[in-house]
Amino acid sequence: MRVLFFAQLKDATGCDSVELAVAAPLSLEQLWAELLEKFPALAAHRASVRLARNLEYAGPQTLFNHDDEAALIPPVSGG
Amino acid sequence: MEITVQLTNAPIAEKIPPPASGLAGAWTEFRGLVRGEENGGPIFALEYEAYPEMAEREIRRLLAEISVKHPCLAAKVIHRVGVVPAGETAIYIGVAAKHRGVAFALLAEFMDRLKQDVPIWKRRALPVVQPERGSMSRSASESQRHIEIAAGHGPALRSLDEAVAEICSRCQPMPPVRVSLEEAFGRVLCETVCAPEDLPSCDRSTRDGYAILESDPAENYQVVDMIHAADWKLRQLQPGEAVRVATGAALPCGGLRVVMQEHVERSGGKIKIIKRESVPNIRKRGEDVKAGEPLVQARARLDAGKLALLASAGCAQPLVSPRLRVVHFTTGDEIIPLAQTPQPGQVRDSNSILIRSLLQRWPCEVFQAHLPEGFQLAKAESGKWKAEIERAELVLVSGGASVGEKDFTRPLLEWLGFETAFSQVNVRPGKPLIFGVSGNRVAFGLPGNPLAHFVCFQFAVATALAKLTGEAPPKFLLGRLTTALTDAACPRDTLWPARLELAELRPLPWASSGDVTCFAAANALIRVPANCDSLAAGAAVDFLPANF
Repeated sequence: MRVLFFAQLKDATGCDSVELAVAAPLSLEQLWAELLEKFPALAAHRASVRLARNLEYAGPQTLFNHDDEAALIPPVSGG
Repeated sequence: MEITVQLTNAPIAEKIPPPASGLAGAWTEFRGLVRGEENGGPIFALEYEAYPEMAEREIRRLLAEISVKHPCLAAKVIHRVGVVPAGETAIYIGVAAKHRGVAFALLAEFMDRLKQDVPIWKRRALPVVQPERGSMSRSASESQRHIEIAAGHGPALRSLDEAVAEICSRCQPMPPVRVSLEEAFGRVLCETVCAPEDLPSCDRSTRDGYAILESDPAENYQVVDMIHAADWKLRQLQPGEAVRVATGAALPCGGLRVVMQEHVERSGGKIKIIKRESVPNIRKRGEDVKAGEPLVQARARLDAGKLALLASAGCAQPLVSPRLRVVHFTTGDEIIPLAQTPQPGQVRDSNSILIRSLLQRWPCEVFQAHLPEGFQLAKAESGKWKAEIERAELVLVSGGASVGEKDFTRPLLEWLGFETAFSQVNVRPGKPLIFGVSGNRVAFGLPGNPLAHFVCFQFAVATALAKLTGEAPPKFLLGRLTTALTDAACPRDTLWPARLELAELRPLPWASSGDVTCFAAANALIRVPANCDSLAAGAAVDFLPANF
């Protein structure tokens, strides 16, 4: 599964995306656990970051599959 | 509704025609422009970043959702990405509708929602390139020219208000930096931080007690679950069911009230309600702050309470003023080290620690050294600290500023590259105050007398420090005298030392001991005596200053 990073999260992770090997569907918590293991610097952003799955904001029940595109959305500031 | 969405690197056209359906009676347009200023400093452009596919989808979703409430015929949204110069359009939206009311309503709500949900970011502000910093390596003729410019710059004597205004206009905020919260104490916040989610994030109980359906009139209930403060369990309560909740516990569903444990009789798994209060004992989701609302405003100095609030909002790397670098020179051959006994005409150096301590309010690096008396000697000695002086945003020179033969502060500051803006202020004490400017750097020559030194720091240096860090400069406040002030006659304004004894206190609203937004605003604690229900405005109260 591809996970995209934007804005300050690019600075925190040093990259704009990462490929995760996903054997079974991941819950929000499990995906965060994977990401934090790879990028401990994301911990500081966790409370303010929303996750998206296939271009839609994820809810507490969302499951992430191997062919999904996930994205970490830090607080937005468009307009 | 017909929706068009475009994200583009190119400038947005000056004129965009309405859709030619013939049904519309209104075509309302809004353009959001890039302001030529950010955090008090001039900027040349903003750089935008987007998650383009999702941004387009979110824009469409929001428009579709809002148009259910405010039915319109068509909407066209264009958002710039990449570098957008100041003055250009960053976002354009046009809405066509049968009548103007719905078009305005849709437009306004859409802009609010865009700023919450659409994955587009202002990545960074590109500052206007600042003029080159002054340098000490000027030739003598260049220094001379500077002195002439200074002399031709208006009167060297300023009133108190003129001096403060001139300091404000000549000090520019330094470019902000991102630092961790641990390093942010005392810095000035350079961006408004908004709540990323509702605070509190769900309905919470304000009592130890039992949650029941708000409108359930029963007297007896079955206790079906228990929720501790840190638990989160979803459950739709049924009539006749109660859930044991602790203070601060997240409630299992909406539409509840909490009955205090003191107001029930419990036997086994059942409770009987003996008293119902009129209040539901619930802190509602978003009661303190709603997602997207400002939590801490730009230009606020970060104290303990504001840092705690930023932490609770997940803001780990706030954009703040940088650490200042200050160089302070004491001068005067009469100044002796603290360990020596002063001979007639000598004094121990109290100004070094005075300045170092006063500067502690602004996170800064302070370099201090003593200069011998006389321009040539002081020039030679200060040359040793060239690197420190050149990288300092603020240079202070104590003493040697009154109009005596040995006064060399002004020529020294000019030799160091600071153009003299003024060299006297019509104020008592502290008349011989010198203010010099070199690009973004400023310098003060402070009169050597300790009280004059203290006074000049408070009205002049503190103003410069506030402007350099992006904070609002100190202001005169309105007070009332407790005893008469006499024998003050002086043709100059006097800054008379006083002791602040009475205070006016505005009680802040608070509902729960979990309210972080409350203590971020508080700087005192009023002692309300036990069983006292209310205190009238004007009442005398005891208070403890807190959180400065």
